[in-house]
Formats: sequence, C-alpha cells, structure tokens
Amino acid sequence: MKITDARIFPYPAGDSTVARMAIEAGELGFDSLVAIGDVGHQSFQGVEILQGTIITAQSIREVLRDLRDPAVRRADVVYVDAGDLPFNRALASINEVNVISKIHTTRQNAFDHVAARTAAERGVAVEISLAPLINLRGVKRQRALNRYADILALHRRYGFMLTISSAARSILDQRSVREIRGLCELFGMTGAEVNEALSSVGRIIEPFSPVGVVR
Amino acid sequence: MRPRPPAMRTKKRYILVRIIPSGATVDQKQLYLSVIEAATSLFGDAAVGLAQPAAVYCDAGYAVIRCRRGTERDIAAALATVTAVGDDRVSLRTVATSGTIRALRRRMKPIRPRPEEGEMVVGGTVYAVCRYPGQKVDLIEKGIKHQKRFFFSELDLEER
Repeated sequence: MKITDARIFPYPAGDSTVARMAIEAGELGFDSLVAIGDVGHQSFQGVEILQGTIITAQSIREVLRDLRDPAVRRADVVYVDAGDLPFNRALASINEVNVISKIHTTRQNAFDHVAARTAAERGVAVEISLAPLINLRGVKRQRALNRYADILALHRRYGFMLTISSAARSILDQRSVREIRGLCELFGMTGAEVNEALSSVGRIIEPFSPVGVVR
Repeated sequence: MRPRPPAMRTKKRYILVRIIPSGATVDQKQLYLSVIEAATSLFGDAAVGLAQPAAVYCDAGYAVIRCRRGTERDIAAALATVTAVGDDRVSLRTVATSGTIRALRRRMKPIRPRPEEGEMVVGGTVYAVCRYPGQKVDLIEKGIKHQKRFFFSELDLEER
C-alpha cells in the first residue's frame, strides 16, 4: 500500500522543483507523488514520482480528442476537470479517465448517484483536493466542505475510489499524512477512509484483475 | 491572590510546530494573530474561545502553541490552514503534542544552513543560495524584504 499525494504542480508551475517536493513528501510520510507535467519516471530518496496530466474541456468530444494526444497517453494518471451533471456522468463512463478533479467547483447536484455508480463500475476516482480547505476562507470553504461531505456520502454508498491531493505548487502547500487526516475529519472522513483514499492511486495504476495463467 | 489548587486549574496541551521555510523570521504576536484567524475561520468564535490557543514560544524555526486539553486535534487542524504570518508566506508543520513545554524542547532539533554560500541567477534575478541538510537548497532573492524564494535540491543545482 503506497501512500500517494495525488497531485502536485512542481517548478515551473510552482516555486519548488519536483526533487525538492519529493524530499519533503518523504519527510511528511508519503511513498509517491503524482506530478503534473513532463517529469518522467523518477525516484528521489525513496519517493516515487508518477506523471500526471490534466484535461480541461467543455465537452466530451474535446475530452476524447485530448485523450488521443501522445502526451496524455504517456501519463500514468489522467485527470479531467469536472463540469455539469451530463458531462460528469459521461466522464465516469470513460475507461481512459482515471480521476475526476475539481469537484468542489461544481454545483451540488453535478455528481449524482448515477455518476457515482458508473464511476464505481469503471474504476474512475474522484479527487478531494485539500487546497480549497487550506487556502480558502468563509463561504467558499464552507461550499467546498459541503461538496466533499456529499461526495463522501456517495462514496460510502456506491464504493467508487477517492483520491486525496494537496494540489501543492510549493513545499509550503504540502501537508503531512497526519495533517491530512485532521483536515479530512472536518467533513466527516474517518482515518481508515483517509488511508484508503491516499493509497488509491496504486489501485488506479494497477487495477485488480482476474488471475491469469502464465504458460 | 492565591493560586487555584491544581485540581481546579484548566489542563493545557502544547503543540510543537516547525516553521517552514527554514530561516524565516516570525514575530510571536503575528504568529498568534495568524493562528487565531485560522482557527476562528475554521471553527468559529465559540470553539476557539473554549480552546484558548496562544503562542508561547517562537524561535529558531520552531513555535509552541498552547491550547486547552481536548482541543489539540482541532487546533492542529487549524494550524494546517495557516498559510502566512504577517506578510510572509509560511507553513506550520505539527511535530508533536505534549503536556509540558520541557518535553517539546527535547524534540526541537536546530536547523542551521550549511556554511557554503553562493549566488545563482534565475530568470535574470540574482538569488542567494542557502543549503540545508538533506540536500535541500533554498534560493532567496537578494533584497531587503518580501524576497521571492525558490525551493530546489542539490540535484537541481547540479543539472543547471
């Protein structure tokens, strides 16, 4: 079980290089990171770096077009930013999409029980980003907490995967596993659920499959 | 005034936090105000009033936050939402929680930059190079205040 920070933005998107963020992540209790950008497969001081890519699109046709891009195909984890309800339902049914991200920016009913069931069947995860809990204040943070509590209720009912990410652009945005547990407690997530969500990137990369016979 | 008997005193807990980035100078009062703002916005006046958070120590890259016993988990969660102290961007990393400051002092390991110094140019701006143990390198913009920082590693400097 690898504890993974599901999304970071290293230099040049942020002010910290991927190597430095990996060193810090190791000290904070992580085994691997998903770095957005062309970072390649590396390992720093025992922390594995996975490559991620984000697709931001207005329609499913655009998503399908972007998924054919060689740069997207090279990535270990493909994130697609969430949109309205029909868009999210369609996203949940695409096998090449690994994670639906930025769910906190959508409306309350934008991810419903149908999308949740489809996501569970297709192995698509939903991202819980800690950045809004850390950086936002007031009504915006309250909305994010409300959305996460709603997603958690659907997760408990339908069993789709959750990922937890710091969405850090700097080492100052990275948080330890213990701090992540404290922040996730704010919207009712238990310690066991946090551990499961932190290790779900491994299950996304290598999904469970029937045992094959090797001849 | 006679002090209260021990059984009648409120029990306290002390949280040791490490101030990131290393070498950042943080004022204790500014730290207290940042912690109160973060805790109040997260839990509200009523909960923070009961928790009584206070900054009791702030030096050498570490700070000790005092709170009422039983509220330390909430205050630790609030400390994770502190993003700035005064005008400086910092992060507070919880190291340990204890009932005495003495126990926390034993956990404070001094973080000193290695003596090698240097300069580096990134994007036409001159940065001072500060090396820390664990192959960490901080690039600090040369100037008087509000200097921009980059967080690199020894490996990144070798590649450049």
